Amino acid sequence: MNAVRRFTAQEDGALLGRFEPIEADLLRLATKQLLEMLDSGSADPELAESDGIFARLLPDAYRDDDEAAAEFRRYTSVNLLERKALNAQIVINTLGLSAGEEDAAAETDTAATDTEHRQPITIRLAPDAVQAWLRSLTDLRLTLADRLQISPDGVVHLATEDTPFLRELYDWLGMLQEELVYSIDV
Amino acid sequence: MTKTAEQTELRESVALDRPWVTLVWDDPINLMSYVAYVFRSYFGVTPEEAERLMLQVHNNGRAVVATGNRESMERHVEAMHGYGLWATLAKAEE
Repeated sequence: MNAVRRFTAQEDGALLGRFEPIEADLLRLATKQLLEMLDSGSADPELAESDGIFARLLPDAYRDDDEAAAEFRRYTSVNLLERKALNAQIVINTLGLSAGEEDAAAETDTAATDTEHRQPITIRLAPDAVQAWLRSLTDLRLTLADRLQISPDGVVHLATEDTPFLRELYDWLGMLQEELVYSIDV
Repeated sequence: MTKTAEQTELRESVALDRPWVTLVWDDPINLMSYVAYVFRSYFGVTPEEAERLMLQVHNNGRAVVATGNRESMERHVEAMHGYGLWATLAKAEE
């Protein structure tokens, strides 16, 4: 099999990643939503403690000791949320501007805004950025799994008109993460 | 109390203290390839050992991935949460 690989390693340890514009737009949008959620958790620790998704992003460190779990959370949650937000910001930065933003910035002619003419983009990920991507893709999937109400046996319980799209996005992010893992040597 | 006695007492209390462990739990979300990657890149274990631990999480629902004092286990748990893995710490079972 000789499928086109999304990521190719450079000699300096960086990866080049090839994305269709629609893929880059989707990932950028999803990551921006993740970033907003993380920021809302940082701004309001009480929300972060009551909202279910934060319980999975910042799980209890002690299973049978609520007091120790609460204390661990007090000492680590701000730092963890900040680092997760930084990772998301790195993903957004490395993806570059969206087509709409580029057009607004460059004031290009209308032909360039035609999505059918948009070419695949190549992004460069330095080793630090790869680490940020791996973690952010995980956070995105954890967030989506929460929305999809995926139970411990892996079954999706959300049944709305959004389900097929969210599920496809969830699977695509997993594929992307796996491609990334296989592209780096430890 | 003599100094020697103190030292003996300290050694005994250290020996009697059960160590702490870092546990990673199975979840339906994280990919097996990613979990193995985290184990070998963070804990520096061989790919074979990382694979073994990952399969233990997958098949048994959890695995002990580190043993030591409480502070270092808390550090590992925080790092695992940074990776998005579901990790806890506990006193080692006797």
